[in-house]
Amino acid sequence: MPTLPSLPLLPKLLRHILALAAGTFAVFVFPLNAQAEPLRVPVLVPITGFLSLEGTSQGNGAELALSGSEIDFSVTDTATAPEIAINAFERAVDAANVIAVVAPMLGTQMLALVPLADEFGIPLITVSGTAKITELGSPNVFRFFPGDVVVKAAQARYAVEERGAKRPAILSQTTAYGQSGRAELEANLIGLGVPPVFQEALDISVKDMLPALLKVQQSGADALLLHLHAGPTALVIRHARALGLDIPIIAGSAMHQPETAALLEPDELNGVCAESGSSPVSEDWLGIRNFVDAYRRAYDREPDAFALGQYDGVKMILAAVEAGARTADQVRTYLQTERHTGLAMTYKSDGKGNMAHSAVIICYDGTDQAPQVVKRYDNLTGVL
Amino acid sequence: MILIQIALNALALGAAYALVAIGFVLVLNATTAVNFAHGEGVVAGGFAAVALAVILPPGIGIPGFLLLPGVLVATAILGLLIGALAYLPIRNRPPVTVFVTTIAVGIIIANGLNATFGAAPRTAPPLIGVGSIEFLGASISRQSLAIIAIAGALITGLALLLQRTQLGRQFRACAQDPEMARALGIRLTRITMISFALGTAFAGAAGLLLAHQFFISPSDGGILILKAYIAVVIGGWGSLRGATAGAMLIAIFEVGVATLWSQPLAEGLLYVAVLLVLFVRPQGMFGEPQQVRA
Repeated sequence: MPTLPSLPLLPKLLRHILALAAGTFAVFVFPLNAQAEPLRVPVLVPITGFLSLEGTSQGNGAELALSGSEIDFSVTDTATAPEIAINAFERAVDAANVIAVVAPMLGTQMLALVPLADEFGIPLITVSGTAKITELGSPNVFRFFPGDVVVKAAQARYAVEERGAKRPAILSQTTAYGQSGRAELEANLIGLGVPPVFQEALDISVKDMLPALLKVQQSGADALLLHLHAGPTALVIRHARALGLDIPIIAGSAMHQPETAALLEPDELNGVCAESGSSPVSEDWLGIRNFVDAYRRAYDREPDAFALGQYDGVKMILAAVEAGARTADQVRTYLQTERHTGLAMTYKSDGKGNMAHSAVIICYDGTDQAPQVVKRYDNLTGVL
Repeated sequence: MILIQIALNALALGAAYALVAIGFVLVLNATTAVNFAHGEGVVAGGFAAVALAVILPPGIGIPGFLLLPGVLVATAILGLLIGALAYLPIRNRPPVTVFVTTIAVGIIIANGLNATFGAAPRTAPPLIGVGSIEFLGASISRQSLAIIAIAGALITGLALLLQRTQLGRQFRACAQDPEMARALGIRLTRITMISFALGTAFAGAAGLLLAHQFFISPSDGGILILKAYIAVVIGGWGSLRGATAGAMLIAIFEVGVATLWSQPLAEGLLYVAVLLVLFVRPQGMFGEPQQVRA
């Protein structure tokens, strides 16, 4: 009759069995746990404050791109103060497996985040228009909206070459965005041989545009170029029309946003044009139509170029992941070296993180609040 | 011509600011503390106009000033809520406590409006139609004229209330000496709550007046409370007449000085003027010398 092993042997046998089981567990289970930790892309955008309209679009575009993917994400409001963005960034990168951050499009916040991104080695994906963010020498900034170098060139060229402006005036914002754009606009106009005859910078809180517009009128300007945020842009147009100032108005990117156009009556918009990276609601081809429809279903509002640019930027991160990138370093390398065909345009880094090199001009014909694309400026920097 | 345009625009903007400042002073006089949610009262009035506008038939051009009664009622109720939440529970605490509670309530209102209406600026219907009329060679906006007329009517109505009615006498008694007023049988809490309602209603009316010509967005409250505060500092702490004068001065800087020079310079000079008032005549243009400044 078989007997049980003797007592001294049983513990030794059990020890062997347990060791074998533990080794098997370690080989198979721990890697599974490590693989179960998702990759993360925090979305930090200004949902409240004076840039809330644009920031909400940015956040929506990122969210739409990330939804349904394997990437874990959460949306955090950075409001308007740089320190809020810094706190949000530090909290966000505290989690494991952060491969990139969708960073706020507010210029002052981006400028505060760039050193942190370099310290943590995390790529920032943004649609901020402030020129300086890609002039700091950081390898971690990737801008998916044409910078001032591109859009202000388009704005200036359209005003001079297409609308025949010879005495342009510029109204800009006193914010970092406004100052950087104004400088580019002025440089482009001078380069075209048409220096501005009048310029003024306006605080974001200014409501009555009459003082500035009276001075534009008195300067004899034959075109008005704007580099303002959404609300002030619409205010200038409304007050200019009330004043009877009938010169062409070529506005900045804020004017392409459907919410900005909705503030004005169609006849107030007649003859108003604007530069932008794109205008999703104006395009007809299938890819854009699908994006527009999905955006409308998800958010019950019209998408703008900021949403589309951020959507394309996040899609490029997803392309990097699909190509095998699993760390922030690998994602950064992909963004620095690869070309990506998005819905708005083709993106490629110029070595400084400027990914978008094309712009469009949209114009309103006065019959409704939907603009048409009247001019495209492709590959203005020659990078593609 | 340009001077007429500038003057009328300054008068219109000043009239709207005066409504904000007067509402601010009404609450200040009743509570001796600053209501930092007052700017959000203006914003709430603007959005009330936006919301009520859906009942106006589109394309028929019914004037937006018809929304005024609804806006006044809605923001008066909001004022009662602000008073009940941010003042009554802590009315025996130091005034700085009211700062904090009204700031908190203001943030709640701003974020509530953001969540309800979205972050984008919104516009209300024009008060009496769009366009302008020619006057002495100047192009005068109908909106500006309507703002001046409506604000003038409201301020006149308030003046009559304060000077000619028993309620008005009670308001003035409470503002001058709350303890004596209480000793004479005036119900201080009732007057305080009416002040919150009336003050916020005035703010709401300003929101309606500003919402078409200047748009309204949830984040505007901070700037508006600052303008009200400056108007009251310049005009005199607790003085309704001073608040009106201070508001007009702000508008003169924002429109007149900005036209002469530039907007950034106009804003800088406005704050220089504030400092000068504080140094030379700290009680303000129409204030009493012995005031407790909260």
